[in-house]
Amino acid sequence: MNARQILIRDLLVLFGLAGWAVALPGFASEFVTSMALTCLMYVALSSSWAMFCGTTRYLSLATSAFFGIGAYTSALSLEHMPWAQAVMLGALIAAAVAIVMGAAVLHLRGTYFAVLTFGMTELIRHAISYFEKSVTGTVGRVLMVVPEASTVYYTVLLLAVLAVALSIVVRRTRFGLAMLGIGADEQRAQTLGVNTRIIKIAGFALTAAVAGAVGAAMSVRWTYIDPHTVFNPFIGFQTVLIALIGGAMTLWGPLIAAIVFSVLAETLRLQVPQIYMMSLGLLLILSVLYLPGGLASVRADTFRGWGRDLRAWWADLRDELSGEKRRREAREKQLRERRHGY
Amino acid sequence: MSFSSWIELIASGLITGGIYALVALGLNLQYGLMRILNIAHGEFLMVGAFITWMVQTSFGLSPLWMIPVSFALLMAIGVAVHWLCFRRLTATSPNLDVFEARGLMVAFGLMFLVQNAISWIWGGDLRGYDFLTQPVAIPLPGGQAQFAVNKLLVFALALLFAGGLIALLRMTLLGKGVRALMQSPVGAQLVGIDTRRLHPLMFGIGLGLSGVAGCLLSMAYTISPSMGEPYTVTALIVITLGGFGSMGGALAGGLLLGVIEALGMHFTNPSLKALLSYVVFIGVLLLRPEGLFARKTRKA
Repeated sequence: MNARQILIRDLLVLFGLAGWAVALPGFASEFVTSMALTCLMYVALSSSWAMFCGTTRYLSLATSAFFGIGAYTSALSLEHMPWAQAVMLGALIAAAVAIVMGAAVLHLRGTYFAVLTFGMTELIRHAISYFEKSVTGTVGRVLMVVPEASTVYYTVLLLAVLAVALSIVVRRTRFGLAMLGIGADEQRAQTLGVNTRIIKIAGFALTAAVAGAVGAAMSVRWTYIDPHTVFNPFIGFQTVLIALIGGAMTLWGPLIAAIVFSVLAETLRLQVPQIYMMSLGLLLILSVLYLPGGLASVRADTFRGWGRDLRAWWADLRDELSGEKRRREAREKQLRERRHGY
Repeated sequence: MSFSSWIELIASGLITGGIYALVALGLNLQYGLMRILNIAHGEFLMVGAFITWMVQTSFGLSPLWMIPVSFALLMAIGVAVHWLCFRRLTATSPNLDVFEARGLMVAFGLMFLVQNAISWIWGGDLRGYDFLTQPVAIPLPGGQAQFAVNKLLVFALALLFAGGLIALLRMTLLGKGVRALMQSPVGAQLVGIDTRRLHPLMFGIGLGLSGVAGCLLSMAYTISPSMGEPYTVTALIVITLGGFGSMGGALAGGLLLGVIEALGMHFTNPSLKALLSYVVFIGVLLLRPEGLFARKTRKA
C-alpha cells in the first residue's frame, strides 16, 4: 500500500468507528454509554499524548494538569457562556499554560523532563487547593448549569475523533516529520534545520489543548469538582499507561488499549479496585518487558519470537538440571587441552 | 522566639531530615549506579513499615529487632525484582536513554502493584503503635528543649545507617567497585568489576535501606498504604538538591530539606508544606540541575 491508500484506509476506519459510537446511545443501556464515555475520554487523551510524547520521546506526566485546568475553566465559566465556548476556553487556557511550562522545561530530556512535569502538575494541584482553602474559603466547586448527558457524550466523541484525526494528519506533515526527527536524534534534526524549540513547544501545546478540552467537557459529569479529583495524577498515569501498552509510536495502539482498559476497569473496579490497579501495574511491567512496541505491534512473528525464547529457556534449564551443561563444558575443556598438547 | 524553641524547631526539622536522607540514599544508589529511577521506592518503605507494625502488634516483638529483619527481607525482594525485571531490560534496551525511560515505566508498574497489594491485604486505614513515647528534657542555656525518646532514637539510627552506607562506599573494596561503576561503566567492566553481581546487590541494598527507613518511621508516626508516594517525591527532591549520584550530597540535602520544611511550616502555615517542597524541587531542577553542592559542571 502506498501512503495515499494508507491515509484513505485510516480515515475510513475512523469514520466507521465514529459512526458506531454516534449510534451507541440509541441502543445501549445507560451503563454501557457511561463506559463508552470513559473510553472515549481516554482515547482522546492518550491519542493526543502519543502524538507528541510518543514521536518525540519526551515522556510528559503533565496530562492531569491540563485536564484539571480545563475542568476548572469550564466549572468557572459555564454560568457566563455557552457550552462550546467554555470547552474551547478550557483548551486555550491549557495550551497557554503548556506554552509557558514548555518554554521552561523542554530543554531537559529523558527522566529529568518526566520528573519535572510530574512536579509541576503536583505544584499546580497544591497551589489551587491552597488558593481554594485560604483565599476563597471553598473546598471545591459545585456546577449549577449542567448540559444534558447526551451533549457531553457527543462533545467527548467529537474530541476523540478530532484527536485521532489530528494524529492521522499530523504524521504526514512537515511538523509531524520534524517531531519524529526529534525523537530519533534531536541534534541531527537541529543540524538539518529543524527549529526544535518551536516544534517541541507547539507539539506540547497541541497535546495540552486536547487534554484541556476533554477536561472541560468531562467536568460537568461530576457536578462537583475539587482539586483532588480533577488534578488526580492517576489520570495522567493512566493516559501514559494506555499509550505505552497500546504502542506510543503507532496510530491505533492507544485507541485499542483504551477500549481494553475501559472494559477491564468497569468489570474489575466495582468488585475489587485493588485487583484492577494491581493488574494495571502487572500489565505495564509485562508490556514494557515483552512488548516494547505496544499491543499494536503484535504480529505473528511476535508469538514465534516468544515461542523461540521459551524453547531456548527450557532447553537451557533441562541441560542445567541434567548436568548436560557441565559435561559439555568439561568436554570442551578437554578438547582445548588436547589441542594445546600438539 | 527564645533560643530553646529555635533549637527545638531546628532539631525537629533534622529528625524528619534524617529519614529523608535515608530514603534518598537508597534511591540515589539505584539511580546513580544503574540509572533506574525507582518511583516505587517509597512503596517499599511502606512495606517495611507494615511488616514492623504487623510483627509488633501480633507478636509483641520490639520494633528494634525488626530493623535487621526488614532490611534482609526488602533486600531479598530487591534482588528478586532486579532479577525478574531489570536484568531483561538491561539485556534488551538498545541504549541508556531507552533503558531509563523503560525502567521508569517498570517502576510505575511496581508502584501500582505493591501499593494496592498492601491495601488489599491490610485495608487502607491509618495504623500505629506506641513505642518509647515518653518525653525527655534536654537542659539548654535559657530554658530546656523537650523531645520524645522515639524520635531521637529514629534520628540516631537513621544517621547511623546513612553513615554506614557512605562508609561502605568510601572504605571497602566493594564500595570502590561501585564508585568506579558510577564513574564509567565501560571502564569499570574493563578492569574486571562484575556488573552482573554488583547491580542486583546494590539494588537490593537500596531497597533494604528503604525498608529500614519504613521500620524507623513506624516507631514514631502513623502508617497507611498511601504513605509511600510523598516519601518518593521527597527523596527525588533530596537527590536533585544533592545532585544525582552524590551520596554526601543526598545526606546533606535530606537534612537541609527537613530544616527548610520545619522552618517554612512554622513561619507560614502547615498546609503550605507540600507546596513549599515542590517549589524548592522545581527551582533547583530548573536553576541548578547538577545539584546544589556540585563543584564542577556536569557534562551532558
